Amino acid sequence: MGSRMKRVLVVQLARLGDLIQTKRLLLSVALPDADGAVPEVHLLTDASLSSLARLLFPGVVCHGLCAHGPAVPGGADDPAALSRVFANRAVFAELSGLDFGRVYLLNHSGLARAVSALFPPETVRGHFQTAGQPQKDPWPALAFRFAAARREAGLNLADFWAAFAPRLAAPESVNPVAAPKGGGLGVVLAGREARRSLPPEVLAPLAAVAASRHAARRIVLLGLASQAPAAREFFRRLPPAAAKNVVDLVGKTDMAGLMREIASLDELFTPDTGAMHLAAHLGTPVTAFFLSSAWCHETGPYGAGHTVWQAVIPCAPCLESSPCVQGMACLSPFAQAGMLRLAAGSGKAAPPAGLVGLRTETDALGVVCRPFAGEDPTATARTAFRAFVAEHLGLLRGGAASGPALGGRFYLETDWMLDRFSRFGSHRQDMEIL
Amino acid sequence: MNERALTRILVVLPMYGGSLPVGRYCAKALAGLGHLVEVFEAPDFHGAFTALKNLRVTAKRLDYLEHAFLQTVSQAVLAKVETFEPDLVLALAQAPLGRQTLKRLRRDGVATAMWFVEDHRVFTYWQAFAPYYDFFAVIQKEPFLSRLAGLGVENVLYLPMAADPDIHRPLDLSPAERRLYGSDLSFVGAGYPNRRMAFRELFGFDLKIWGSDWDGEIALAPRIQLGGRRVGTEESVKIFGAAKINLNLHSGLDPAVLVPAGDFVNPRTFELAMCGAFQLVSGRELLPEAFAPDEAAVFTDMNGLKEAAAHYLAHPGEREAMAGRARERALREHTYARRMQTLLEFVAVRRPGFGNAVRREADLADLPDGLRAELAGLLGELGLPGDAGFADVVTAVRSRQGRLTELETALLFLDEWRKQYASR
Repeated sequence: MGSRMKRVLVVQLARLGDLIQTKRLLLSVALPDADGAVPEVHLLTDASLSSLARLLFPGVVCHGLCAHGPAVPGGADDPAALSRVFANRAVFAELSGLDFGRVYLLNHSGLARAVSALFPPETVRGHFQTAGQPQKDPWPALAFRFAAARREAGLNLADFWAAFAPRLAAPESVNPVAAPKGGGLGVVLAGREARRSLPPEVLAPLAAVAASRHAARRIVLLGLASQAPAAREFFRRLPPAAAKNVVDLVGKTDMAGLMREIASLDELFTPDTGAMHLAAHLGTPVTAFFLSSAWCHETGPYGAGHTVWQAVIPCAPCLESSPCVQGMACLSPFAQAGMLRLAAGSGKAAPPAGLVGLRTETDALGVVCRPFAGEDPTATARTAFRAFVAEHLGLLRGGAASGPALGGRFYLETDWMLDRFSRFGSHRQDMEIL
Repeated sequence: MNERALTRILVVLPMYGGSLPVGRYCAKALAGLGHLVEVFEAPDFHGAFTALKNLRVTAKRLDYLEHAFLQTVSQAVLAKVETFEPDLVLALAQAPLGRQTLKRLRRDGVATAMWFVEDHRVFTYWQAFAPYYDFFAVIQKEPFLSRLAGLGVENVLYLPMAADPDIHRPLDLSPAERRLYGSDLSFVGAGYPNRRMAFRELFGFDLKIWGSDWDGEIALAPRIQLGGRRVGTEESVKIFGAAKINLNLHSGLDPAVLVPAGDFVNPRTFELAMCGAFQLVSGRELLPEAFAPDEAAVFTDMNGLKEAAAHYLAHPGEREAMAGRARERALREHTYARRMQTLLEFVAVRRPGFGNAVRREADLADLPDGLRAELAGLLGELGLPGDAGFADVVTAVRSRQGRLTELETALLFLDEWRKQYASR
């Protein structure tokens, strides 16, 4: 073991939610090695997120890159924007000089692959390029095939990314078990995709009854300034008794302020958003509404003690990029009276058809959403799937009963026959992704 | 958005054989002319075909397997075309481009050219493939040109062989090398039947024979050097320089015709000339177009060969002067760069807009000042002209092996960023 500290870089160029979902990987790569040495962990994100990254992950050295798109359409040809992007050269020079022993590139994008070219090819993992040829390692290649079976599959994105590392930090060590903090109910009005969020007329009655369950009756509205009209509509739809307790913080908080506010809440009502992951990170209980293309088994809140209401009608989850031809059928169960009773805390009520209530726990593989209300048609298949993945990652001793059937489905001839591992080194202990 | 400056050329090499080094010379010459060149390394696939031949399966099954694998290689060429977006796909004889692939390229508007550096009488498969190429360059004239015209092949170009002055050049040999490689008469090449018979008549001369495929040759055994092993290019150039007279007897399969008549001029003629090495070359119909009588000494029969050998051995000054003139001519007219220039001009005249495909990427001139200045330095390093387009620089950077510098990485990143956000 040399005296020089081993450095590890994680490259995460996506948005807020993805950044927070990188947490288990960051914890995993920071685990002491066989000699007890703790690596120095670096994180490269878009520059707009690097100060938040420092808040989220103390101890991680954060670097910022101009990676996200121009604010205006067509701005990709604006000379000033091009200059800003090219100024990344200084960041690349700094990173190049840091002599990383391992670099994890998490994004399936040309941007991440371009960054990979900066490092010795044998050090990069995940999505990379060699001599201009885009490639991905065996683990992401396998996991991408799971997308063909989204309903039965169930692997949280945070666990997917964590498994880029040779050893995984325990899932229960990632986030605190969720517990109320006394500050009432927070409501996130919408995520980036409006289709994945409940409209104010559906959300308001649910929030009103949920707020009544907490000692602090306040209802804190959270969101970007652009969501102010939705906030007004939400407010209008609230019963007067609830409306008087509203604290409207839409467009009024910076990231640090948002963190402080979420950290104080009893509960956060939210669609699949960065704020939801922030709440999970802080141990604030989440009640999340997943519909349209959102699928809690992929991007649900991480850690134990959260609740998700997931639409499970036959067309869910759909593709975000495809227009809905079902008249947003997945929204209607949320608007039914049965849902209102459940939001009020009636554990005995059955949810409307097409809706399942799930609670988050952790198992050998990572976070898992287990149904507590309603009929989850793919729960059994998901259990088998998780056992298969856990065995694949070496997390399940003794083998999964589902192994042969799912192996036949997900393993390809190219996995079996072509060299996938020589770049990981000749020693088995160096073969980080098995 | 401007038009891009460079012509992109994908050179598709054959998997093996005599046209393989020619393909590499072409790629090098095209890059030297300032074009953006990528090479499809078909030789990397050759091992798989060898493996198929060693299977010991039925002939029918082997035929199927070879066909199927060739389809895969053709698909690989298409994928390369899709990514590199060349203006021209230049194939050398036996390059793995099937008819379906050529049809597809034609449909997609990608120009294809074949440099058929073979004897059309010996290698007759051209009849099935020539119509599928947009441009067909050959090393023979009549009756080949008429036969191609009869097939409906329109854009046919006579493009004789050539030599690369960086490879074939005069060398300063050490005394030891002169002793090893030197002789009065020298021949480098394979033991075709006519050569075996012809060289047996040269027993009165100090003759050294270099190269492989002389197995079973008893009469000439003492003349065969290095145990008849294959001689590489670098070593050949040393032999050319060390010999007083290089024999260049064109090959023939009929042992009864020692000095075969023929039309095309072999590459050796150009290589020896480029080396400034004196040669006695068997007469060819098309030789006078390439070299004048005072640039190359020609023989047409064995008596002529022996008389010329004796004469020139006795007159070293004549040898030197003639070799010097041949080298000047070769440097002036017979380089691969010259051939490629001719080919591209031929294509450009017949294909309106050739090399002017408009791309989405901006020219360097559209980029911020600081970036443009930085790139100017990189262009020289990449062997690109100053008017290279941004896309060309990115393509050249992308093809680099191993770890990139921060400048190169920043360029790739910028390119990806523009691709990702341009349409939003």
